[in-house]
Amino acid sequence: MKFTIARNTFIKKLNAVQRAISSKTTIPILTGLKIEAEEDRLILTGSNTDISIETTISTNDEEAHLNIESTGAVVLTARFFGDIVKKLPDNTMLLEVKDGFQTTITSGASEFKINGLDANNFPHLPEVDSQTTITLKADVFSEMINETVIAVSNQESRPILTGIHFTIEGNKLSAVATDSHRLSQRVINLPEPIKMPEDIIIPGKSLLELSRMLDDEIDTITLQISENQALFTFDETLFYSRLLEGLYPDTSRLIPKESSTEMEFEAPELLASIERASLLSHAGRNNVVKLTINAANKQAIISGDSPEVGNVEEEVVTKDIVGEDLEISFNPDYLKDALRSFGHTSIKMAFTSALRPFTLVPTEDQENFIQLITPVRTF
Amino acid sequence: MDKKDLFDQITEVTRNTEDLLNKLHETQSAMVEIMEENAELQIENQHLRERLKQATAAENEGTKNTKYGLSKSLQNLEKLYASGYHVCNEFYGKHRQDEEECAFCLTVIYGDR
Ligand SMILES: [Zn+2]
Repeated sequence: MKFTIARNTFIKKLNAVQRAISSKTTIPILTGLKIEAEEDRLILTGSNTDISIETTISTNDEEAHLNIESTGAVVLTARFFGDIVKKLPDNTMLLEVKDGFQTTITSGASEFKINGLDANNFPHLPEVDSQTTITLKADVFSEMINETVIAVSNQESRPILTGIHFTIEGNKLSAVATDSHRLSQRVINLPEPIKMPEDIIIPGKSLLELSRMLDDEIDTITLQISENQALFTFDETLFYSRLLEGLYPDTSRLIPKESSTEMEFEAPELLASIERASLLSHAGRNNVVKLTINAANKQAIISGDSPEVGNVEEEVVTKDIVGEDLEISFNPDYLKDALRSFGHTSIKMAFTSALRPFTLVPTEDQENFIQLITPVRTF
Repeated sequence: MDKKDLFDQITEVTRNTEDLLNKLHETQSAMVEIMEENAELQIENQHLRERLKQATAAENEGTKNTKYGLSKSLQNLEKLYASGYHVCNEFYGKHRQDEEECAFCLTVIYGDR
């Protein structure tokens, strides 16, 4: 194998694939990057037990200046190789693999010789033979991931809750995540109804890596599903993630159907109040703040009381309050995460009682995005 | 004490500490298991008592008299939840980690009827 390539293009692709490569894995070959040169393209692959990423550089790609002199394949230790490539002196680099997978990297006056591994020992990527392809706007899907991933559980003792649960009904794709303390659900409309064989659960960590790869240059992304893998395709990149097995709990019943108190406000206003109150709650022993609603006076007060530190109280700027008076306590960090995910928008918060989860929805789009937070019992 | 002795000693102490830590972990998980089993038995016990009561006093049904209008069996679940255990289908009988609230449990106890 022998090829020359523009270093900046190569580094960009290398960075993408490196998201799937761990330097900590116990399987040595998986610390490696697989480089494969075909007649008209270069394929880079990285893989771990959760995700695999494969990306292609074509000889037609003008910026890449890719010139393949001979085909072949090799696996190189990703971190070490990546560090070398990033520090090379010239814009162009030449890579050549000789007998015993000894690899020479040349750029300007610099020449490295490193030991490679046999690419035949690299695991084969899963086969995804799916009849269904779902096409999604990359920015919308990335938003969907970021809005829901905040509620996935990070406790491996409940593996199923470490994933985001996707379902399709007609032309509505729904994503929901819950760690049992809070829940986030986002629905997006697809251009046309699609039949998905069944619901799927994709690890939140995989999706977070995927969303980080979806920059402004990427317009659409497609999703295919097989028995135990999801395959996302965009640009010249294939992104595989394993699926979580098991039954996702029925989350629809968590969302109260009725409310007795409702409060409307601008997300940044409440966020600022909560951030101040949590300065105190974080310093105290239990991380809890209290919201006191006086409906008649249309007044909402956030307060925090930590006997060992002090207390805080401030009135929240609201747009409207209707319903019954209420006193409810909760973990301010959950509300912060929820409010941040809404950005600059008007929010409607609905409560049933001090003991039941409460919900937040954007005033403008109440159907498609909902966040739920479980109160803390204070008696 | 020369450097090698010191090093050996440190290695020895490290090994002992690791052993101790392992034992501690084992004891801890054993304890959690017992607590969970205990919770399950409590639930079962309560169910059985409930059944017994129902059998002996069949006329006394459907009394809703708590602050949130909970029936007797839901009150029992409420009590169990308050003492730190899950009563939801998802994590039934498991210890609630760091007393964190569970939306599934609260829905079972206070949810829509
Ligand atoms: Zn529970």
